[in-house]
Amino acid sequence: MPRFNSLTLPDRPIRILIGVAIAIGIAALVVLLFLAIAGAAAQQDATPHSTIDLPHLLVMTSTQAGLTTILSLTVGTALAWALNRLRFPGRDLVVGLFGSAIVTPGILVAFGLLAVWGRSGWVNGLWRSLFGTPLDIPIFGLGGILAAHLILDGAFAARVLLARLDAIPTARLKTGQSLGLTALQRFAIIDWPTLRGTLPGLGAIIFLLAFTSFPVVLLLGGGPANQTLEVAIYQAAKLDFDLTTAVTLALTQVAVCALIVIAAAAFAPVPPSLGSSRSPTWQDAAGPRTVQWIVLAAGILGFALPMLTIIVDGLSGIGPVLARPSFWNGVLTSLMIASAAATLTLLLAFGLCLARASTDRAGLRLTVAAPSYAYLAVPGIVLALGFFLLVRTMGILPAAAAPVVVVVANALLALPFAVATIGPPLDAIARSRGKLIRSLDLSGVRQFLAVEWPLVAPEAGLVVALAFCFSLGDLGVIAFFGTQDFATLPLLLSRALGAYRTNDAAAIAAIMLVLTVATFVLLPKLFARSAHARA
Amino acid sequence: MLVLDDVTYTHPGQPAGYRFSMEAAAGTVTAVRGASGSGKSTLLDLIAGFLRPTAGRIELDGADLVALPPERRPISILFQSESLFEHLSAAENAALGLPPSTARAERDRQVATALAEVGLDGIGPQRSETLSGGQKQRVALARTLLRNRPVLLLDQPFSALDDDTPAATRPLVSTSMSRHGWITVLVSHHVDDIEVLARRVYAIENGALLREETTTAPR
Repeated sequence: MPRFNSLTLPDRPIRILIGVAIAIGIAALVVLLFLAIAGAAAQQDATPHSTIDLPHLLVMTSTQAGLTTILSLTVGTALAWALNRLRFPGRDLVVGLFGSAIVTPGILVAFGLLAVWGRSGWVNGLWRSLFGTPLDIPIFGLGGILAAHLILDGAFAARVLLARLDAIPTARLKTGQSLGLTALQRFAIIDWPTLRGTLPGLGAIIFLLAFTSFPVVLLLGGGPANQTLEVAIYQAAKLDFDLTTAVTLALTQVAVCALIVIAAAAFAPVPPSLGSSRSPTWQDAAGPRTVQWIVLAAGILGFALPMLTIIVDGLSGIGPVLARPSFWNGVLTSLMIASAAATLTLLLAFGLCLARASTDRAGLRLTVAAPSYAYLAVPGIVLALGFFLLVRTMGILPAAAAPVVVVVANALLALPFAVATIGPPLDAIARSRGKLIRSLDLSGVRQFLAVEWPLVAPEAGLVVALAFCFSLGDLGVIAFFGTQDFATLPLLLSRALGAYRTNDAAAIAAIMLVLTVATFVLLPKLFARSAHARA
Repeated sequence: MLVLDDVTYTHPGQPAGYRFSMEAAAGTVTAVRGASGSGKSTLLDLIAGFLRPTAGRIELDGADLVALPPERRPISILFQSESLFEHLSAAENAALGLPPSTARAERDRQVATALAEVGLDGIGPQRSETLSGGQKQRVALARTLLRNRPVLLLDQPFSALDDDTPAATRPLVSTSMSRHGWITVLVSHHVDDIEVLARRVYAIENGALLREETTTAPR
């Protein structure tokens, strides 16, 4: 007799057991990490010696996250509106460019901004050659942080909102077109009702991303006045060795993030939106079209210029860097860590999602999925701090545990995105084809190989690409566990910047960007093709 | 002989339930007609095992099926639509009717034979999403031939087809059913399906099956 599910879903008790085991393991790890953090706080008998002002940190972090959210949603809406209306050669490339914002490492954007707008940047160089004096651009501080976040999160918002506009039913557009709606009427009557449902959930995600931003604030913060919780935790634990303060900040950070995650859960979910963009063409009048071109040009320039600068600056001085063994060690370490983290993410996500799709019991579905989503509320720095304290408690040297910890931490950080990406299609297959699968008496292995894998391989490729790129760009976890012998590319980049080796930093950034874009573009295609060949 | 003996079922939240009794003989089509929402799909789900009756017996040649999960019942089903996995080829869909342990050469031979039997010779490598509605149903029928279970449930199998296609597909079903001696239960609200295929007809009224006298032999 089926024990776990209804009769219209394939009966897969082993899948459910595997999923529950993974979920329990993940939940147990969360508990262990918090026990390690709490234990470290209890053992600290000395008073905190860091001079950190918690209320100021909260205000600063919330202010920059709030401003980032408002600006990103505004810019994202404008860009999505322009892209939805305009058709031109290379449009797919532009859409892909904005889609890649989700995986572009923050450290690259920060570095790119410095390369364009910094004291030695392109703009200043041009200004100096024209007018003889340097231009004082406030790239460090709140302005710089907001600019970097706007590039990352504005492009992300644009891609998500464009998908919503593309999904407007053709019949509705035809009705509007036949009524001769103006551009303003069209936006108010057709676009806005479609977009507004997505904005709260999208805003919550952007707020969370900005609230937990680490490398951007580390590079562009410019001093204690603009410090955020995330950077303060790193400074307290790693630089000041003040665990009491670090733990207090970490718990505050987790509490705030948990509140945001809970709030975000109440809003409409944000659909994945990384495919191509196709929708019927209905051109607005010449006036609005001019505005659309201006918005789009500004958006492309804002996002692409820092990336282009990284490539040009990096490749021009790449020779000496390529001759250094430490660089190749960094490349190898980054690729190995990212590959392992991406593989682990995919395996964990499949374990959880196949189990969740095999049952319609709400409690069991929640039990399987909830622990993975807990990591949304645990930023990378806090996770790294927890692991750092846990391995110390276990009497293991952090350096010895580093490879495993960095892989596991990065996989856990990518897991919520992975579960959100492959969970819905697996659920849909089980529900729409459950009767057919049962009536044909397909085994679990046959169901996976013949039905599920071919259908979700593109999503699996996206998951692997996302996890790989997240891990490739991670600075939060590696900052805690990196050593002279165990360093990834972001850590090498950060060290090069700290030592004012700008040419080295540019070359490393260029390699990181090429790896990120190549992975993000090629991996999903490879997975889709392999599934196509298998099917 | 397939026998439903006072099989009762009530959908959660609905006040009135169903009480089904019927008999279906081997080598014949037993049709069940009724309006939308009358309970035709519920009846098939009970026989197939997707719903568990609150009381009563479902017997095949004297053996009770109620305790068996859907995948263990000696039953094939031709669904109204989505009978195929669209990302697989016609041959791969048909091959799902064979045990996975079947050797590749033997599988290819049997699949080709089954596809030829339903008039789709040479269509095996074609992706299912490119097939017409009638071709899809015939591929599903080929899979049913390969599964060769003693009971065949037809869930309005021609409803989603173009006007001319049912006329071409019905004789195939009828021939296959007769040749293999299957017990076939057809639910449909199309008079043509029932007149062409069925020897015995039931109507669902007020949640119960009423036997009707058939005036014509199946064509």
